[in-house]
Amino acid sequence: MKEDFVNIVRPLLPNVDYCSIRFVSRYSNIINATRSVVEPVSICEDEGIMVTVFNDGGFGYGATSNTTKSGIKAAIDFALSWSGYSKNKLTYYPDLSKIKTQNGSFFTKENEQWSKVSMKDKADFLLEVNRALKSKPSISNWGAGIRHNTIETQFIDTIDSNIRQKLSYILPQMIVSAEYKKEIQTRTYGGHAHARQAGYDFIDTIAMHDKALELSEDVVELSRAKNCENNITDIIIAPDQMILQIHESIGHPLELDRILGDERNYAGSSFVNQEMFGRYKYGSDCLNVTFDPSVSSELASCNYDDDGTEAKREYLIKDGILLRPIGGLFSSQRAEMDYVACSRACNWNRPPIDRMGNINLEPGKSSLNEMVSSISEGIYVETNNSWSIDDKRNKFQFGCEKGTMIKDGKFTNIVKNVNYRGITEKFWNNLINVGDKSTYEILGTSNCGKGEPNQTIFVGHATPACHFKEIDVFGGI
Amino acid sequence: MQNYFKKISDLLFNALESSEILILNFDAEETDFVRYNKSKIRQAGRVHQVSLDINLIKKGKTLRSSLRLSTEYKKDKTLLVRTLFFLRREVNELPKDPYLIYEKNINSSNLIDDQGLNAQDMSSRILDISSSHDMVGILSSGKIVKGFANSLGQFNWHESDSFNFDWSLYDDNGKAVKQNYADRKWNQDTFTRLYAESAQQLSVISNDEQKVEPGSYRVYLSPSALNEIIDMMSWGGFSYKANKIGSSPLHLMAKGDREFDKSVSFSEDLSNGISPKFHSDGFIKPNNTELITEGKYQKSLISPRSALEYSVKHNAAEDYESPVSIKLETGKINSKKILETLGTGIYLNNLWYLNFSDRNNARVTGLTRFGCFYVKDGELIGPINTMRFDETMYNIFGTKLAGLTNEQQLLMDTSTYEQRSVHSSTIPGAVVEDFRLTL
Repeated sequence: MKEDFVNIVRPLLPNVDYCSIRFVSRYSNIINATRSVVEPVSICEDEGIMVTVFNDGGFGYGATSNTTKSGIKAAIDFALSWSGYSKNKLTYYPDLSKIKTQNGSFFTKENEQWSKVSMKDKADFLLEVNRALKSKPSISNWGAGIRHNTIETQFIDTIDSNIRQKLSYILPQMIVSAEYKKEIQTRTYGGHAHARQAGYDFIDTIAMHDKALELSEDVVELSRAKNCENNITDIIIAPDQMILQIHESIGHPLELDRILGDERNYAGSSFVNQEMFGRYKYGSDCLNVTFDPSVSSELASCNYDDDGTEAKREYLIKDGILLRPIGGLFSSQRAEMDYVACSRACNWNRPPIDRMGNINLEPGKSSLNEMVSSISEGIYVETNNSWSIDDKRNKFQFGCEKGTMIKDGKFTNIVKNVNYRGITEKFWNNLINVGDKSTYEILGTSNCGKGEPNQTIFVGHATPACHFKEIDVFGGI
Repeated sequence: MQNYFKKISDLLFNALESSEILILNFDAEETDFVRYNKSKIRQAGRVHQVSLDINLIKKGKTLRSSLRLSTEYKKDKTLLVRTLFFLRREVNELPKDPYLIYEKNINSSNLIDDQGLNAQDMSSRILDISSSHDMVGILSSGKIVKGFANSLGQFNWHESDSFNFDWSLYDDNGKAVKQNYADRKWNQDTFTRLYAESAQQLSVISNDEQKVEPGSYRVYLSPSALNEIIDMMSWGGFSYKANKIGSSPLHLMAKGDREFDKSVSFSEDLSNGISPKFHSDGFIKPNNTELITEGKYQKSLISPRSALEYSVKHNAAEDYESPVSIKLETGKINSKKILETLGTGIYLNNLWYLNFSDRNNARVTGLTRFGCFYVKDGELIGPINTMRFDETMYNIFGTKLAGLTNEQQLLMDTSTYEQRSVHSSTIPGAVVEDFRLTL
């Protein structure tokens, strides 16, 4: 790859209206220890290219894991073949003059590289965390793991762009279950949301061993707790549940390709339409949401998207008013709207589509104590374990691992099987208080699915805890 | 492709030391993807991908690496030799694997089904027939290859051409119907018939919307809708390990505390040949494994690793222990008289975005989506508004089950995450009483 690759590939670029070649090299290493046994360690090395051709009213791509000169030539031929076939058959042919030449780079800051710590040391560490998780006799299942991914991309095109980006992320995971009277309750480390762009040093900052002990205590108490009662009540949602709420009922409905109908056969469309931007009251005045690729260590931080568009921070919702969709340069042309750099592909073998990057809910002014103190009766919910929402992203239902009841401004007992449901359009207008920086966490999810052909991608969400009124909360059987 | 796999296998096997065993899994795909929106092409292209999983076993230890290959020998040779040396060095660092197991008997097989599919020709037929509709969907077409080899001498090969066209038709009010055509060889008459069926349903869905309120309803779950619930059941429900650690939604059933109706029998049935029968560690899977028989939990899917961990006999399930080709036996309701049997209620063609609302008690939630109608006195009246359901599997397949239909449908998995799926299911429809809609 790198400059050698560029020098080999550039002369192969065909004489067409526009062509780009995106080379992707991915490395992943997953180490898990489950029930105090190190599972088979997996290492994955993956590389390939995608050639994209726009020509004479047609569009096509060719993708191959054969990155030799002959392989790249074959991929170009496939892209040319499909662009020829699709001439005048396309949903939309973009104005190619709007594509800007870009030259730049982005690299994740890694203080300690993954490879500098031996596999044995990582395995030993996870076995130690396992011992902490299995610290109570009623623990029926436990496990810990660390996933490391590196995604290196080189993008060149026929207008002399040359972009190199290398993103590395770490995903630490823990799970622990306890059984009581044939009922099992489970706690995880933030619902597997503590993923960051970082080096191995991130592991040192999160104190997994101490967290393991806390989770273990928690799950035993939870297994003996009462079911959550059915109630319409105040709810404070912790960041490790808020991220799912943001993801499903703000992120997805604002994706422009959904609004334009591309996803109607699979991931769905949206209750949002183009006329709503600039005027629709999405939420209460304290709702401020950004597309922010600049947050240090957040999962989808970068300088460019996979179509070579420069990435910048933009407000999607400000003071509750819907401003801008999550649409890349090409989608924005179709819709005649503003764009953000969100055209992303999960790998070299899938074409870029509109995707969330980092979608963040900006912090407010209340501490958690202040929010709890303001509630006479309510519940504090933590850690997502179930999510479901309709194809227009309106009727949702979420489940959480743990609930803590609030009575007269104070936390009381914990409850199990916490669920809540609502309708997006009403829910965000019931947001009455947004937590301050002390409640704010940078989190993310590594498995957002969408697209045909299907793609799973990592997205970032940073959010404080938030307080909502009149929420329909209910428990298990 | 098969010769290439043999060539690189030989390269690696010849480089082994006497104390080493090597297991190789080969995956390749040559797929044309055509994505449609508004009966036009949104994105189209070809993906060629080849990968090899290498599992080195040495002195009771194991380490795996997955590599993308170029299929140009000179380039791949360097990568493969480097990887083998890396695995050999690193495997020593790891503790012994107490659940290490691989097939030591030799069971080779070879299946090649070459149909020579032409995606651009299929696409033209799709565009021709859909030009007067608002069609959105995806055509995936081409070759899928799975191969296995180990240094003990076993070699397995499963290569087949197939296509899967999955589409929806929308009316002006945003209501839609969904259909799918998947096979090994394109048949224009079959496609025309299936497309006409979806166009016919579209005319009914354009009737006035029937507003449904939360409550309990008699419903018909089409094979596709029922399959969504069975998919949720497969999130650990048939896994031996998940039942042991309690993450299975059916763990109470596996313990003998709960049952389904006597008319319900599930099995893992690989006889349709869609999924390869060889396991990634070389074991050969049985043609049929009875999972639930006449409402009683019969057997789980047990991977060789779980078998060692829990000292039981395995049935060659992969480590994830969920079905790849599940079959639900038929019942007695005449499929051709389903509206008459339903009488007054809701006809659910498709469910969407299911998840658990109480996993311990097998309770699931989800939403209605494509082609869901209100039915009165055996007649389709019109489409319903999107509704959320929340119901337990024990109700759906047990106390509230009125019956299963006498015909099944083969449903090919449309999933294309990382690679095209070779999973399928064979499912009848079901009539269920008092099905709970909550929002």
